[in-house]
Amino acid sequence: MNELIPLMVIVPLMAGLLISAFSKFNKATKIFAFVVAICLPIIPLASNYGLHYFGGYEPIMDNVTNVMFHPAITYSFTFLQQIFIGMIGILTFLVVFIYLTKYKEVSGPYLFLLFLGTAAVTAMLLTDDIFHMFVFFEILALAQVGIVAASSIDYSYEMALKYMILGSIGSPIMLLGIGFLLALTGSVNVTDIAYAVHNGLVNITSPVFLLSLGLIFFGWLYASGLPPFHTIKSGIYSKAEPHGAALLQSFTVISMISIVLIMFRIYSVLPIFEVLVVFFSILAMILGVSLALTQTDFRRMIGFLAVGELGFIGLGIGLGTPYAITAGLFQALNEIIITALLFIGFGAIVNATNEVDTRKLGGLLAYHPKVSIMLLIGGLAMAGVPPLSGFQSKLMLVQASLSCGYPEISILAIMVSIATFVVFVKTFYTMFLRPKPNDLEVEGKDVPRAMVFAMGILLIIIVLLGIFPDIVIKGISTFVGGIL
Amino acid sequence: MKLYDQIFNVVKQFRKLFSPGPVTNADVSGSITAEIFLIVSLVLSAILLRHVSVLLAGLVALILAVVLISNIPLIPKFKIEQEDSLEKMLFYAVVTLCIIAVFLYWGGNLV
Repeated sequence: MNELIPLMVIVPLMAGLLISAFSKFNKATKIFAFVVAICLPIIPLASNYGLHYFGGYEPIMDNVTNVMFHPAITYSFTFLQQIFIGMIGILTFLVVFIYLTKYKEVSGPYLFLLFLGTAAVTAMLLTDDIFHMFVFFEILALAQVGIVAASSIDYSYEMALKYMILGSIGSPIMLLGIGFLLALTGSVNVTDIAYAVHNGLVNITSPVFLLSLGLIFFGWLYASGLPPFHTIKSGIYSKAEPHGAALLQSFTVISMISIVLIMFRIYSVLPIFEVLVVFFSILAMILGVSLALTQTDFRRMIGFLAVGELGFIGLGIGLGTPYAITAGLFQALNEIIITALLFIGFGAIVNATNEVDTRKLGGLLAYHPKVSIMLLIGGLAMAGVPPLSGFQSKLMLVQASLSCGYPEISILAIMVSIATFVVFVKTFYTMFLRPKPNDLEVEGKDVPRAMVFAMGILLIIIVLLGIFPDIVIKGISTFVGGIL
Repeated sequence: MKLYDQIFNVVKQFRKLFSPGPVTNADVSGSITAEIFLIVSLVLSAILLRHVSVLLAGLVALILAVVLISNIPLIPKFKIEQEDSLEKMLFYAVVTLCIIAVFLYWGGNLV
């Protein structure tokens, strides 16, 4: 059923609008939001692979050159989109479920922002049109700002405003790059642009083409939170509600891979493109982990670790071989799940203690054993400990960099994994194992069951992907074979 | 004892990182790990320059190692540069744009 392809974007978008408009009917809003959230992971699973042309404008064959042109905005739905949209759907469901059970009176605009963000990343993954991608990238940025500003955490407004100001630099620069590309090729369809670039219709050494790469690349850095935007990205994670932060980081990962895959298809003819991606990925890994090691606010610590993990994804794409790209995309899937688990788990601790400073916590293992064990496993998965999913993707990345002739990158990847492990050992010890400080009050405060349920679901996926990685690796590598 | 005193002074300076609030063993251990991790990973990354020129990679790695080790503790300085100040974020955004321009101006020859 290819008709379901556009519905993956339309359903959350329309649901968000309706919820926002009728939010004064609290009970009906809750039921409707719950039903839509359940539908989100089901639609991509029920849909067939294929293409959808908006307006019904099928591709046109030029009889002189035998080249196919795409006049319509095209959505392409393959295994990669299915697995990522399905995972975002599951995560949105869990986050909406946590939110609905947490508050008696729900906020329609907040639910609207959650669904809007989901619709935006889904469209970014599906689209084969670079300008369409930019429009949803902008919508996503606004949704992210709203989710942060709507949280009740101190200084969340300030952080959201800073993110918006930086976005007002990153986004127009990216748009300018897209404009240059349009001027050179006369199209915004990525397949058409890639055809023109790879078949000599565009001079790839022209300053305009190189400039378009530089500008779109800078916009990508903003979208993905790689340096120099790592500070603001970790900042917005720490100032959002924990369930909101779990969804925000998944938005970041999806926008990162959807933009970089488009860039890869267009600019992979330029060796400098891969050098740039690897350079900024290594920088993100080093900065993210070294700053996470010095944090005392555990939400900020997870934020920096999430940025460091983004470096692994970039590394896979930057190395440029089919195996490395497969590893990078598998790492992206794992990061979405693992980081969401950690944000929700640490959010549960905030809920129970009202404290985010690790120096003021301790002895929580006795009070919240389920949460602590699940957090420990999540932390081990992020550090790449076997047999969890993070181990599989990181092992693939190490092997990929070795086979590309970069043993230094392999050593660096292993070092970053060890440093991530140190961060978790340190945090787990200070929060759960050492004696409880006398002034810490944890009696009578329970962790919401919805959060434990969400963590349980994510943990099952982490273990399953760790033991049976081929479930997704085969499909991803087929997709990668198609774009190379 | 000179080296011991130097390292001890470094550890004492970590106190500034965690103020206000108590400094625990775990925090200092984390900072020392970050310090070592930062130096080793930057030097290791510099070795990647061997794909451009082996001599350049050797020189840069050596100079970087000397500069980094003679400037310890790096993490407090590093952390000040990575704080939530909008001015610093904007400054580094501009620096990054310049780095990309430099990469493309000279790196364009790699095409």
